[in-house]
Amino acid sequence: MMDYGAIYPEIILILFAVAIPALHMLIKSSRALAGISLVGIAASIGMVVYYMLNGYPSIIGNPDAPLLSFDALAAVFSLVFLSVAFVVVLASARYVEKDRHLAEYFTLIMMATAGMMLVSSAQDLLTIYIGIEIASMATYALVAFRKKDKRGSEAAVKYVIIGGMSSALSLYGISLLFGVTGTTNLIGINAALASQGVDLAALMALALLLAGFGFKIAIVPFHMWAPDVYEGATAPISAFLAAGSKKMGLVVLFKVFIVGLIAIKADWDIVVGIVAVLTMTIGNVIALSQTNMKRMLAYSSIGQAGYMLMAIPLATVVGDYAITGGIFHIITHAFMKGGAFIVVAAMAYVAIGESIADYKGLGKRAPFMAFSMTMFMFALAGIPPLSGFMSKVVLLSASVQAAEVTQWMIWLGVALVLNSALSLYYYVRVIKYMYVEKGETDAKIKVPVTLTAAIAICLVATIGLGLFFDPVLELCSEAARTLFPALGA
Amino acid sequence: MAFAEYAWLIPIFPLIAFVVIGFLGNRLFKKWEGGAPVAIGMTAISLILSLVVAFEALTTGDGTPFVQSIEWLVVQSGDFAFTFNMGIYIDNLTALMLIVVSFVATLVVIYSLGYMHEEGEKKRRYYAIISLFISVMLGLVLASNFLQMFIFWELVGLCSYLLIGFWNTRPSAASAAKKAFLVTRIGDIMFMIGLFVLFVGFQGNLDFEYIFANVDAFIGGNDLLTFGTLMIFGGAVGKSAQFPLHDWLPDAMEGPTTVSALIHAATMVKAGVYLVARSYPVMVDTPTTLLVVACIGGFTALFAATMALNNTNIKRVLAYSTISQLGYMFLALGAGGYIYTQTLEPNVGYTAGMFHLMNHAFFKALLFLSAGAVIHAVHTEDMRLMGGLSKKLKITSLVMLIGCISIAGIPPFSGFWSKDLILEAVFEGISVSPVFAVLYAFGLATAFLTAFYMFRLWFMTFSGEPRDQHTYEHAHESPAVMWVPLALLAALAFGSGFAFLFGFEASIVPHGVFEFDHVASAGDLLVAMFTNVLTYASIIVALAGIGLAYLMYKKKSIDPARFTSGTVGKTISNVLLARYGFTKAYDWIGLKVVYGVAKVADFIDRRIIDGIINAISAGLIRAGGFLRRAQTGLVQAYAVVVVAGGSLIVILLFLVGGI
Repeated sequence: MMDYGAIYPEIILILFAVAIPALHMLIKSSRALAGISLVGIAASIGMVVYYMLNGYPSIIGNPDAPLLSFDALAAVFSLVFLSVAFVVVLASARYVEKDRHLAEYFTLIMMATAGMMLVSSAQDLLTIYIGIEIASMATYALVAFRKKDKRGSEAAVKYVIIGGMSSALSLYGISLLFGVTGTTNLIGINAALASQGVDLAALMALALLLAGFGFKIAIVPFHMWAPDVYEGATAPISAFLAAGSKKMGLVVLFKVFIVGLIAIKADWDIVVGIVAVLTMTIGNVIALSQTNMKRMLAYSSIGQAGYMLMAIPLATVVGDYAITGGIFHIITHAFMKGGAFIVVAAMAYVAIGESIADYKGLGKRAPFMAFSMTMFMFALAGIPPLSGFMSKVVLLSASVQAAEVTQWMIWLGVALVLNSALSLYYYVRVIKYMYVEKGETDAKIKVPVTLTAAIAICLVATIGLGLFFDPVLELCSEAARTLFPALGA
Repeated sequence: MAFAEYAWLIPIFPLIAFVVIGFLGNRLFKKWEGGAPVAIGMTAISLILSLVVAFEALTTGDGTPFVQSIEWLVVQSGDFAFTFNMGIYIDNLTALMLIVVSFVATLVVIYSLGYMHEEGEKKRRYYAIISLFISVMLGLVLASNFLQMFIFWELVGLCSYLLIGFWNTRPSAASAAKKAFLVTRIGDIMFMIGLFVLFVGFQGNLDFEYIFANVDAFIGGNDLLTFGTLMIFGGAVGKSAQFPLHDWLPDAMEGPTTVSALIHAATMVKAGVYLVARSYPVMVDTPTTLLVVACIGGFTALFAATMALNNTNIKRVLAYSTISQLGYMFLALGAGGYIYTQTLEPNVGYTAGMFHLMNHAFFKALLFLSAGAVIHAVHTEDMRLMGGLSKKLKITSLVMLIGCISIAGIPPFSGFWSKDLILEAVFEGISVSPVFAVLYAFGLATAFLTAFYMFRLWFMTFSGEPRDQHTYEHAHESPAVMWVPLALLAALAFGSGFAFLFGFEASIVPHGVFEFDHVASAGDLLVAMFTNVLTYASIIVALAGIGLAYLMYKKKSIDPARFTSGTVGKTISNVLLARYGFTKAYDWIGLKVVYGVAKVADFIDRRIIDGIINAISAGLIRAGGFLRRAQTGLVQAYAVVVVAGGSLIVILLFLVGGI
């Protein structure tokens, strides 16, 4: 009898996801459906926490070539995805109440989350691929959720086309690797690559995988879909994409590069480093001239992805510490970026535009929204003592440490610092509009309590992770060590 | 050490007064003299506690300090680990300072009740800051390590700034406050450098207890330690207004007279002397520093005394006399320490310095507060408009006379004992180094000048005929709340010197450096003192000074104008009034050097650095606009970029991949 304990969290989620359309026959209220979804997500979180406290379940598949293994890394990422889903569903409860196909909306969110979680525990290129596709299909549909909305539909089409292309690229990469090594298992690939010398086909595969999976993360030059899609999708879904789906791409890259491809004896770390620096720089530079909040946040996400990508080349030198920083930044970013998008959603809900100029005078009209947004902006820019600062510090110190061995890696840190300074410009501009510029009216804005609650969760996490980072950092470190089997988990 | 356990409460009480007065509503204290009762009450409580703690330390202790501390900052990073503590350190020196500071402070606050009565709304600010001032000074005295001391040191500076500039609408007060702050800042920076040296040399441990017990553990050699102690003395030079950082003190007279009394007698300037005394166990390892201390002190004593000779502002004369008397204290500390390093024989230098600190606290507080009573009565500080006031201000004139006799050094008033002890200590040094012959001459000359200018002040103010009828008629004796503290201080100014006969010499010694083997009895001490020719020398010069002042300003048999009539006399007089040009020199340094540097820095910052930054940001924003246009919104274009980008990555991999 096979033990499927490793996918219980996903199974719980999927059961709820399947049940909701049926329940929709009886229940029409979006709030009730959201509530049921929240219960499902909470149950899944409970399962994950149970595993974290009581030991992880056994792996699925051949012990030498596992398919799925629910380890510390999977647990941490599952928690990130589930928290994001929780916050997004909470924020959506009122946001989509006037839309049709409510049941599908919540189902898709949970399905996508299940796919992402599957990816975080996958140990084989094929399971990774399947997980990605589950999540992708669901998010394609979510972007097109308001099918009468032209922008949304256009965005979804672009998303599908570019998504399909990158899917093809990554499949091509996987098959090349299979051709070279004869396996799709990450550990097996590593062992096989270690035993043979540099192989041009393996290098090619590496490039294709970077391109294919890089699409999800929106690293430069595979980023161009992101602003259009984030802008076109409804704001909670943008939050879901930026805070959830993007992180799935990163966990894939961590696994593929650190576990699978680290044995390739070529200086691919420089290339990934260049891509990381390009990603952060181009993302931040374009963000400077954006006037639409969602596009600005989209470009800022691209910039932030560059910071996270830094962890991979750094990990080739300093190992788990760099990945710890990467994971920590993924966690902090999920909350600060998710929170910012949900503030945008809240503003959209009360019919305030998406343009930055529309946020004039918000400090007076909606003090809590403005304050939360300020905190998210400061956190994204990396102002102490907020969470974004702490996670950047870890990445920066990793780069300084790495530079002691491999000198050029200091430039990753330098790029991080310069980009942080640069990004302050457009983050602070939002704050300036909210507090300094006078609004046309001083009328108070009433935001539904569910949206406020979702923002409050993100706010507490953003401030809390900056002040009490020790336990979380410990967790990230434990998760990072699972990628380095030699260190022991 | 039952009471010492609670010594940390001593600075807390005035701090409570500060918080209560400063942060609780104005309305509450409108009827309460701006919170004076709170300030007086809290200061009095800390006085009682200080007295108890000091008494305990002086009587029961065997000289080992009482130390109590908590960890404040812990830095652990491999071989770079250190801990900063916050705590209290009580030995006999601390006890002495506690008595002096809290006693004088309490009397000053009580006296303020009368003196500041007419200040209205501003009183609340006054009592709040003065409570804080007392609190941080007591904190400084109790500090258990150099860093903690430095923190309080800076706070003392801040409070002095706030109080000197109390009448903040008066431009001269505002600039005097600024001057006091900036000039002492120079000293503070030197103190900080000294701290760095000690921090490095003692590997991160700045606790007095550790450093005093392990002076030999200093890493970096004696030259570095000498540099460090010199820098620490530099801090004292700034705070205690020694040459060449003395010029802020006369200007600081812009503050209320009570503040001057507090600064001169108990807080601010005494902190410098205390710092040197506290660092004694380290300084005896660096004879050069001690010699510098003695020379600066001796020179300042004489130098400042000369400026007091022809000044007509009653408070300024007292200010110069403070600088001069502080010079005496440094002279005693430096000489005693240096002689010890050369002979390894215990001597009275340290004791004499601290003894003078105590006596000076009493008679200088008395003099300032009496001067305050005079100013309160006649509403002017110009002695040329006074005269004959003894008829109207009987008590004031009497207590001020006591203060003058005391500072002039006529036995058996307190100033006599300590000054004589200082001169004796310096004289002893002549056998060690000829420098001390010069310093002794300086000291003796200062004694003469001090007696002269103090009695000049007294005669000009109180005797003869009123020179300004209008002011004279309006003069009135101070209320009891002012003259009672004066009377108490007068008693001490007369009597505190007798402490010498009752074991002062035995208890105030630099523990850990040396102790006196035998404790001389009062009789022996008296015999030793009055069989010494030096004692008579100092009494004679003091009497000569008083006599000269009497002839010039009382009997008028010598016309003071004679000294200022000739070309030479006029020049000297003007030079003295211009404070040897130091005021101008400070202004010149401030205006030309500092402001010039600031202007250059401003140019670099604004034009060059900001210019580059602005150019970069303008370029980046333009680049953003350009890249933004590349985002066409056409999905075909996106696909092309994906393919092109993928290909580029492949090419890059093959180029830099190292294959």
